[in-house]
Amino acid sequence: MARYGMVIDLNICIGCNACTMACKAEHATPPGVFYSKVLEKEVGKYPAARRVFLPVLCNHCQNPACEEVCPTGATQKRDDGIVTIDHDLCIGCRSCMEACPYGARTFHKHEATYYFNEKTPFEEMKQDFPDGIVMKCNFCAERVDEGLDPACVQTCPTECRVFGDLDDPQSEVSRIVAEKKARPLLPDKGLEPSVFYVGA
Amino acid sequence: MSAHLDEFLIDVKPQKEWGWLVITYLFLGGAGAGLFLASLYISHPWGEALGLLLLVVGTLFLMLDLGRPERFWRAFFRARTSWISRGCFFISALVLLGAIHVLVELNVWDAGSWALLIQIGAATAAVAVMIYTGFVLAPSPAIPFWNSTFFPVIFFVYSLLAGIDFLILASPILPAPAIDIAHLEKVQFGLVLLCLLLVLSHLSVMSGSAVAARKSIQLLTRGRWAMLFLGGVIGVGLVVPLLFAWPFLWQTSFQTVFAITAVLALLRLFGDYLFRFLVIRAGHYDPLL
Repeated sequence: MARYGMVIDLNICIGCNACTMACKAEHATPPGVFYSKVLEKEVGKYPAARRVFLPVLCNHCQNPACEEVCPTGATQKRDDGIVTIDHDLCIGCRSCMEACPYGARTFHKHEATYYFNEKTPFEEMKQDFPDGIVMKCNFCAERVDEGLDPACVQTCPTECRVFGDLDDPQSEVSRIVAEKKARPLLPDKGLEPSVFYVGA
Repeated sequence: MSAHLDEFLIDVKPQKEWGWLVITYLFLGGAGAGLFLASLYISHPWGEALGLLLLVVGTLFLMLDLGRPERFWRAFFRARTSWISRGCFFISALVLLGAIHVLVELNVWDAGSWALLIQIGAATAAVAVMIYTGFVLAPSPAIPFWNSTFFPVIFFVYSLLAGIDFLILASPILPAPAIDIAHLEKVQFGLVLLCLLLVLSHLSVMSGSAVAARKSIQLLTRGRWAMLFLGGVIGVGLVVPLLFAWPFLWQTSFQTVFAITAVLALLRLFGDYLFRFLVIRAGHYDPLL
């Protein structure tokens, strides 16, 4: 069985947020909910000031703290390593949000689930989640099951994201992680994230 | 231009997901279980019933905090790993066994040889309810200030303290048997001392911990929450009751003892609620981004 993961090359990312938009289009997430986003920050001082970008998403940890604390079993790790939330089981207790050190989860409150005056036909078709639950990235499991890459990977114009099987040493993602010495966020937490970053 | 991960280590971030509804549950749930346990010890069925009522009201606050309260029953399904799930069983066991025990104590129902087992089961469930909320916080890998083995013990002592305080305050209106308030106040003296010791020990241990834990300590001792923590939790909630209780510990007049202990009980309850409020609000995530 594969163990899916992702590597993001920060040397290539230009902070265009195409991944953010592709993710919103894929999942029709409501206002305020971002499965994938790009953090940006200005560092240094004039005239050497520059902006840096950090794309973030759920790290699909191999020891997910969110799964352990979930009282209903809504958060589950699949055999292929993808951590998912069953929206029909979630009770909105947010214990997973308190357990996740990456801030990868968002509580979808009892608020409007659409951006404009009413739901668009697209939102009507795509939004199959209730309010009052926790939401997060699922590595586009519905696409992965069909043999496709996650939407953020497919849409990235710089190809800074590579998705694949971390258990296969010949896969592109494994080779990049090994050759470019990619590292995950907060490795000392012991959660074994499946998202790695090059450029650190 | 390449980015370095360390450049995103901006600052610690406060947790904002759990607020006053959860805090009120922590207070009422702990106090209710503490009141039940204290009343069980002195064989006071009406005190036990009041404790169960507090617990049920507290649990309603917890349910109101859920995004989907109508699905609360699903929280019973993951007791293997989740302390929240285990807590659901502890609360249910306490309410069920506690209610049966009250009926037995009031001679409404004769449990026969089961009475002792019911009593032991109810007492065990009460202790579990007082402790488990500490275990909900303690394993958190995300919030280092909560990541402490002190919390289950601190929550147990604070819950017992609050439970006895409710018993003291309710004593004039509770039906017989009479409650020895002077004796309870002596117990509170020891519990307050223990609380003080545990809270200060926790702060001491955390001050050498991760950066987010140090931020929590800074907020509680020198920052935004310093007045509430040092003045409210430590001062009003623990030190003032310690200083003002001991001259009255050996008074025999019920009116004098009740008047002073009622005031001290209110101060301690205020400190208890504030402690739970600040523990939740001072929780910060480690700096990731």
